[in-house]
Amino acid sequence: MTIPEEILMAYVDGELEPVACAEVEAAMRDDPQFEKRVAQHRELRAKIQRAYAPELTEAVPERLLAAARKPVRAAESHVVDLKEARVAIAAKAPSALSRKPPWRPLVSMAASLLIGVGVGFFAWRHSDSIMIQNAGGALVASGPLARGLSDQLAGDRSPASVLAIGLSFVAKSGDYCRTFTISADVSSAGLACRHANRWEIRLLTQPGAVSADGSEYRAASSALAPAIIAAVEEQISGEPLDRNAEIEARKRKWQAATR
Amino acid sequence: MNATGTPENVRDQIAALLPRLRRFARNLARNPHDADDVVQIAVERALMKLDQWRSDARLDSWMFKIVRNAWIDELRSRGRRDRIFLAAEAGEHVGDATLDRESELMSVQSAMARLPEDQRTAVSLVLVEGLPYKEAAEVLDIPIGTLTSRLARGREALQAMLEPPQGTAL
Repeated sequence: MTIPEEILMAYVDGELEPVACAEVEAAMRDDPQFEKRVAQHRELRAKIQRAYAPELTEAVPERLLAAARKPVRAAESHVVDLKEARVAIAAKAPSALSRKPPWRPLVSMAASLLIGVGVGFFAWRHSDSIMIQNAGGALVASGPLARGLSDQLAGDRSPASVLAIGLSFVAKSGDYCRTFTISADVSSAGLACRHANRWEIRLLTQPGAVSADGSEYRAASSALAPAIIAAVEEQISGEPLDRNAEIEARKRKWQAATR
Repeated sequence: MNATGTPENVRDQIAALLPRLRRFARNLARNPHDADDVVQIAVERALMKLDQWRSDARLDSWMFKIVRNAWIDELRSRGRRDRIFLAAEAGEHVGDATLDRESELMSVQSAMARLPEDQRTAVSLVLVEGLPYKEAAEVLDIPIGTLTSRLARGREALQAMLEPPQGTAL
């Protein structure tokens, strides 16, 4: 007589119907090997449960308890810091970030998530070069940022440079877009797209956003990424450019491919 | 688990589930910090869509599923993020190597950590969290037959790691 191992396991797990149970029990009486195997499965099950039981008595971190207690925000609530943006994006809930068409609204929102013009001029000075300018309502890269976006390949970064390019891709609009990080007095990450012979800043995030209640929220570098990732995922057409494709695009001065 | 469906009540029940959600998330993420991040995201997500929870369904199964989906999303976004921020974040996720530095006596947890993801999740839901097969299969969106075969392979692998056959030098 043979009984598949899975049946013996299901017996131990209490998952067998009464008839099948009776068959297993009869087999165990008739043949000690079944009894032995069932005992092994029982032992393993008990061992696993013993090993994991202590984790249930560990203190739960306050932040998790707070998350369970926190009132649910209205869908319209303004995205004020990166952490909320992350949650909102992760949940695919209607939010300022995911609900609206991505381009203009993202720039015009210009709340603490996106650096508005007033803050921007001050924060974006580096070595006396303005990196981002307001050009007729659009934020446009200038100075070292513009040069880096045009010349620097993804992943390349000279030790002196404050700018790193993360990823280049062709957007659904056909424009070339690139993500970047700046490690200056104010570190940030953003997304710029080549349009009308300039680099338009489509998204800008700052790690040290100030939340609505005035307390500073310091996002870890890993928490900073999701807003950018979401924007990339929303806009990307196909796969990111590899190094050769970047070199090609640079040769063509990042002119959108004619379609 | 036939809850009266007031939001406050469900909130309390979710709070009460936190130890189990953390334990499950640790088995997914194999890293307590990631696990707590994922649980937090899952709780926030669950509260945002409480209306989707049918009060005749088990809240623990529903929450396990949200935790698992949050973890899958996290892995996806990491894959993407690693490409986006390759320069900025190089070397941040190097924790997994420690798994291979376990000492001679293998704990159940470290044996679990070595299982392939699909087996680990099945074992975690059924043997650690005690879900019935049917519930576990629903959490994972797989047929029961698939669940039981993952469970069987996972158990055999654990057995082999935790109790090496006689005569095998440790």
